[in-house]
Amino acid sequence: MNLTIFLQTTINGLMVGGVYALVAVGLTLIFGVMKIVNFAQGEFVMLGMYVSWMLATFVHIAPYPGLVLVGIVMFGIGYLVFKLLIIHVIGKPDESFILLTLGLSIVLQNLILMIFGAEYLSVSTPIKDAAFHLGGLTLSVPRVIAFLVALLMVVALTILLNKTDLGRAMRATAESREVATLLGINPIKCFTIAFAIGIVLAGTAGVLLTPMFYVFPGVGTLFNLTAFVVVVLGGMGSVPGALLGGLIIGIVEALSSTYISLDLAQLFTFLIFLAVLFIRPSGLFGGATK
Amino acid sequence: MNPRAAKFVLPALIVAVLAVPLFVTVPYYLHIMIMVFLFATMGLGWNLIGGYGAQLSLGHSVFFAIGAYTAVLFVVYKRLTPLVGGVVGMALAVVAAVIIGLPCFRLRGPYFSLATIAAGEITRTLLLHFKDFTAGANGVPIPFHGDNPLFLQFGSKAAYYYLALLLLGTVFMIVRTIEHAKIGRYLAAVREDQDAAESLGVKTAWVKMAAFMLSAAIVAACGVLYAFTVGYIDPDGVASVNLSIEIAVVVIVGGIGTLWGPILGAAVIVLLTELTNMYLGALRGGASLVLYGILLIVVIILKPMGLISLFDRFWPKKQVAHGTTA
Repeated sequence: MNLTIFLQTTINGLMVGGVYALVAVGLTLIFGVMKIVNFAQGEFVMLGMYVSWMLATFVHIAPYPGLVLVGIVMFGIGYLVFKLLIIHVIGKPDESFILLTLGLSIVLQNLILMIFGAEYLSVSTPIKDAAFHLGGLTLSVPRVIAFLVALLMVVALTILLNKTDLGRAMRATAESREVATLLGINPIKCFTIAFAIGIVLAGTAGVLLTPMFYVFPGVGTLFNLTAFVVVVLGGMGSVPGALLGGLIIGIVEALSSTYISLDLAQLFTFLIFLAVLFIRPSGLFGGATK
Repeated sequence: MNPRAAKFVLPALIVAVLAVPLFVTVPYYLHIMIMVFLFATMGLGWNLIGGYGAQLSLGHSVFFAIGAYTAVLFVVYKRLTPLVGGVVGMALAVVAAVIIGLPCFRLRGPYFSLATIAAGEITRTLLLHFKDFTAGANGVPIPFHGDNPLFLQFGSKAAYYYLALLLLGTVFMIVRTIEHAKIGRYLAAVREDQDAAESLGVKTAWVKMAAFMLSAAIVAACGVLYAFTVGYIDPDGVASVNLSIEIAVVVIVGGIGTLWGPILGAAVIVLLTELTNMYLGALRGGASLVLYGILLIVVIILKPMGLISLFDRFWPKKQVAHGTTA
């Protein structure tokens, strides 16, 4: 086995894994606080990519400088989606959430298809082809930036959850909605903010992907399934679990597509997923969900 | 509907449906009706486990694909009639149901749904990967054997129309029988409270598995008929997660856990998407699916018991309360 190729593949996987982690952290935050699985999470990655593409194309704000702007837009979208749709199924059985968010994912994906068409769009920035060289290894700049920003966002979220009143309120709501209410916390407000932050994280992942990925209506589907896998692997509701899970899945995908077969890469992801579900459904960092 | 009106409406409906091919000769319209029948049949099958058993499967495309690919590949490689190949396909789907069900039924809520999605995606990936055998993404066109009932090949769409209707009728009668049989009540008990049912001596694992196996066989049969109606199959057409979702959505929109819900749901969803495709398709791709998604969202929020619940007030209440004859 050629060591350089192995290291290069692992690093590529690690970098992509950072973005997976970011999508999954949003999903796990929503699950942890609200106990719902958002089946439309990948579609918000896609929306983030389109917002970023529009900023770059129409007002010439490149993806990275536009990051905060996209974040604000995504928070607004998340807030609206919660107030218009999600709020109606709080307290209903699991199936309602699954089906509602499935419906939302179908609507978002096809609405974008109606507006922008099926073309593969891309943002051309000079940074796209820039790379660092380390020994025989090549580190593409957009991937490094995506990885670092993803890590930064996860750290910021961890601080938010552990060191601020808002975060404590969200964690209390996650533990027990009733007790939180008795303590004077408004659980619906916590749900709204948790959901909107989850959407911001997905949108941010979209922005980070825009310089290195094609933008098209179905792009979210790729991330949807992967995000589920990552979240289950890390333990539903666990933020550090989602980070670690994202990195692991990124590396597994990269290694299996290099060494086994490109079209079987997803197969291994799903096999790991099923194995975790059956052997340790609470995930690597399980217990955090209880 | 009061009983006297019901006596009247149902036979009239059956006669009307039987007569359609006499008046409608445009193949595309018949094709739409065939898709309504197939989705209604799959909905009835899915409902056994998803509705009566309350296990929200999002992986039923596995069985559809197994039925379709088995029957078609037997024709391609062995020239075996799909009447036999189809039965083999249904048997393999039942085996797949056991393989998927054994581990997955230990999972509850979203975990079960996620695991079934993974099962579907694994099937699709394998169909794409083993190109030498399945032709991968190119798909398999069914070799033409002339107007030959033994190979489910007919010159006119009307033949497929009646076959699909026959399948729907058969499955409808099977599900209706089950609904009132012991296993139907066990399933209802599992749905209401799995732990309580278990403590009352219902073997919940076996009840769910039996429903899942039957459900798989029904969906596989639909896969076989679909393949020969369309004359071509490919992994994205018969093994996609979107197909699994649509099978579930048909039931949810129509009315989960009801006998007529899947039929109403299939009619509404297939007609809605096909008609919007016909009128808006060229203009705006995606419009039909936007409406489909909106319909799902509206039903979940406003009519969680499905569109069939709109008819509740016309329906005699007697069948709803099973207990009287038990």
